[in-house]
Amino acid sequence: MLRRLLQIIPTILGITFVVFVMMRSIPGDPVVSLLGDAYNEENAIKARQDYGLDKPILVQYFIWLGKLVQGDWGASILTGRPVLQDVLVRLPVTLELIVLSMAVALAIAIPAAIIGALRQNTWADYTATSVAMIGVSVPEFFLGILLLMVFSVGLGGFLPSSGWVYFPGTCQTVVCAAGLWGNTQHVLMPAVALGVGRAALLTRLLRASMLEVIRSEYVTTARAKGLSERPVVLKHALKNALIPTVTVMGLQVGFLIGGAIVVETLFAMPGLGTFGIDAIIARDYQQVQGFALITAFAFVVINLIVDLTYTFLDPRIRYA
Amino acid sequence: MTSRRLLPGLLLVVTALAWLVAVPLRAEAQTPKRGGTLRVSYGNEVAGLDFHTSPGYEMMWVGMNVGCGLINITPDGKFVGDAAESWQMSPDGLLYTFKLKKNVLFHDGTPADAAAVKFSIEHIMDPATKSGMRPFYDAVHSVEVLDSSTVQIRLKHPYAFMLHMLAGYRTGLVLYSPTATQKYSVEDRKQGKPEAVVGCGPFKLVEWVKGSHLVMDRFDKYFEPGRPYLDRIMIRVIKDPVTEMAAFKNGEIDFIASFSPDHVSTLKAQNPNANVMTGKETTPMVAQMKVTVPKDGKPMSTERAPHPIFGDVRVRRAIGCYGLDRQEIVKIAFKGQATPWVGMAPPGTLESVNVNSMCPYDQTKAKALLVEAGYGPSKPLTLELMTNTEKSVFNVIATVIKEQLARIGVTANIRLVDKVTWMNTTLQDGPWDMYVEDLLSLLTIDSNGYLSTAYVAKNSSAWSHPRHTDTKVDDYYARYAREMDAGKRKAIGKELLEYMADKMYWNTISGSPFYMVAQPWTKGYVYNAEFEVHWDTVWLDK
Repeated sequence: MLRRLLQIIPTILGITFVVFVMMRSIPGDPVVSLLGDAYNEENAIKARQDYGLDKPILVQYFIWLGKLVQGDWGASILTGRPVLQDVLVRLPVTLELIVLSMAVALAIAIPAAIIGALRQNTWADYTATSVAMIGVSVPEFFLGILLLMVFSVGLGGFLPSSGWVYFPGTCQTVVCAAGLWGNTQHVLMPAVALGVGRAALLTRLLRASMLEVIRSEYVTTARAKGLSERPVVLKHALKNALIPTVTVMGLQVGFLIGGAIVVETLFAMPGLGTFGIDAIIARDYQQVQGFALITAFAFVVINLIVDLTYTFLDPRIRYA
Repeated sequence: MTSRRLLPGLLLVVTALAWLVAVPLRAEAQTPKRGGTLRVSYGNEVAGLDFHTSPGYEMMWVGMNVGCGLINITPDGKFVGDAAESWQMSPDGLLYTFKLKKNVLFHDGTPADAAAVKFSIEHIMDPATKSGMRPFYDAVHSVEVLDSSTVQIRLKHPYAFMLHMLAGYRTGLVLYSPTATQKYSVEDRKQGKPEAVVGCGPFKLVEWVKGSHLVMDRFDKYFEPGRPYLDRIMIRVIKDPVTEMAAFKNGEIDFIASFSPDHVSTLKAQNPNANVMTGKETTPMVAQMKVTVPKDGKPMSTERAPHPIFGDVRVRRAIGCYGLDRQEIVKIAFKGQATPWVGMAPPGTLESVNVNSMCPYDQTKAKALLVEAGYGPSKPLTLELMTNTEKSVFNVIATVIKEQLARIGVTANIRLVDKVTWMNTTLQDGPWDMYVEDLLSLLTIDSNGYLSTAYVAKNSSAWSHPRHTDTKVDDYYARYAREMDAGKRKAIGKELLEYMADKMYWNTISGSPFYMVAQPWTKGYVYNAEFEVHWDTVWLDK
């Protein structure tokens, strides 16, 4: 377990280093955006010195790393705002979006997969499989626009088209939700837009696992013992069939963060996705590093949790 | 018979009664109501909130409401006092005296007096501030405080656009509280810390959560009695025009500060009562051609050599002048809602002159010039046409230009880059042949920072993208800006525009339309393009 935890450090360092080098390898200079009308060679040279951009890439990386160890994530080159502060403001938005979209995905995938597996080659199975196929094929932005047109414009503003308000308890700004619904109504459409694609994938995967598991001997034994179908399916079959699905769910977090960029932009949500893409477009190196760090950390930690979940799902799995 | 006689009289009485009833109602409807929140949407994020250095219109529109200046300019070009009550210019044009209103306060409670004006101007002029506005203050010799409410600006030489500059170049002059400015750093202002961003405008900054929202509240001690009417302004960033339209249709936003021209007709169809505001075109849509390249291969080198393609004026004329059908471009890219234009200053810019007759679309002439320059079937001309992802209309224009150039035997390869790459390539003298962009809005010919600080012998300006080396242009600019006689100045301006079109140092395609949209209940806004965006007169009728 300790070894597994220690593995996180080189993984995150590796990711941040690759991102650091890649960002500096693509064309573009943040100093241009920083200076705007005041851009001239003299000011540009001075600004590069001020931000340490004139130093070799490796030196820049170790300076960044040195500060990070002390808890300093750096400051945005363009706005001067502390990166950590911006990340912490935006993290709850993306976190809520990802958790809800995963909930949407599971809420669709689990029943659909069970029905598909138990009633294989029936109309219910075909419907579940077909819907899953469509779900995988529809891009998030397209589904997002459809939802926008139906639930926001079509239903006379039943759901707000865009924006975000924070939970009343966690709100540190003047834009706070009056209650739970005030917050939730902003995230419903984005969560569905992001979750449906994942639901489709998980349905297909879980259905295949279920088909395999329900034909296994221990399920037959459970049935032979006289257990009713409900505990057989939910307790014995589903629990074991979930193992590959949980693995994929962990890996899907990366896709969810990627999808969040599109969905957050479409629904004008101030999350980490828009933070990351804006930082990349503006070549705001410090912010990009912050984005890479938090997403890498989230990805690695979630996959660690996934590994730990195996022990719950299958007691035979043990970590030394 | 009796009733017939009575009818006209009865009608008269009914009309009079209706008029009596209607007039007070109308007057009541037009009386501004206090209170409410104006929900504004921006298409782009605010880059920073230091009004003297941060770039972008989004910042400027905040600056114009948090800050106050000396004067403002109306849509018809008249100057009106802001913090200044009155002003006068000496007969030789070298001395401007401003008398300030006595009740002007900064949001931190300190007075916006003559000392604050002197402080603010000197702050912009200080090279350490790195303000993009500094070149426009080159004419300023000194700023003197005569008494707490009188300030004099002494010039080194006459500057015909001094008042235009103070009123409407970028944000215009935004007065800063000396106390707050000295107490807090430029970083604090850029970050939008409310205690650091202290102006004397109608609204005070409450909060800026980057990527989410910006909030400004009414400043109760604003010097204009009764104003502003709104309690609060809430700005949100909605980058996708489809989402922006949905939010507008739902009534989630009251005011779109800059709306995509591509979607105007859709928005109008969806919202017949929306107030879609536009006006004179002050932004040039250009297809710039690079005139020189560094002789030694080092970007920004002062040693220049002609650009391999466009260093030859015949090629510039063949392609930029005769080879482009501006009518067709406008018809396709702007659905006809823009003015085809050749002159460097677009049609809405002060003292602009129509020089379209210098560049009629003429394929034969274009081909002949190319042959004269050595191009033809045995030596076909191929060039790179750069465009960026900021606005979809750039790509449409680039595609039409590619098609038009093919008609005269020229191959244009489109290179699509993002905005930052475009800025880097053009500002840093990188390799490019031709690009499509719409640059900045021009109040006057003089406000064209791209050329007014142009290549002067050994001092290459980063913003003079084509990098011509013709000092005659600088001479024109200097004479134009210093000429105080309006008639003579217009003549110089006309000469300058004709010269630029003849040499094709600057290749305008058309004006670039600008749109703002307001809900029918949003009242009192005075449209003045990008130059003056003031929400202190706005009120909500709902």
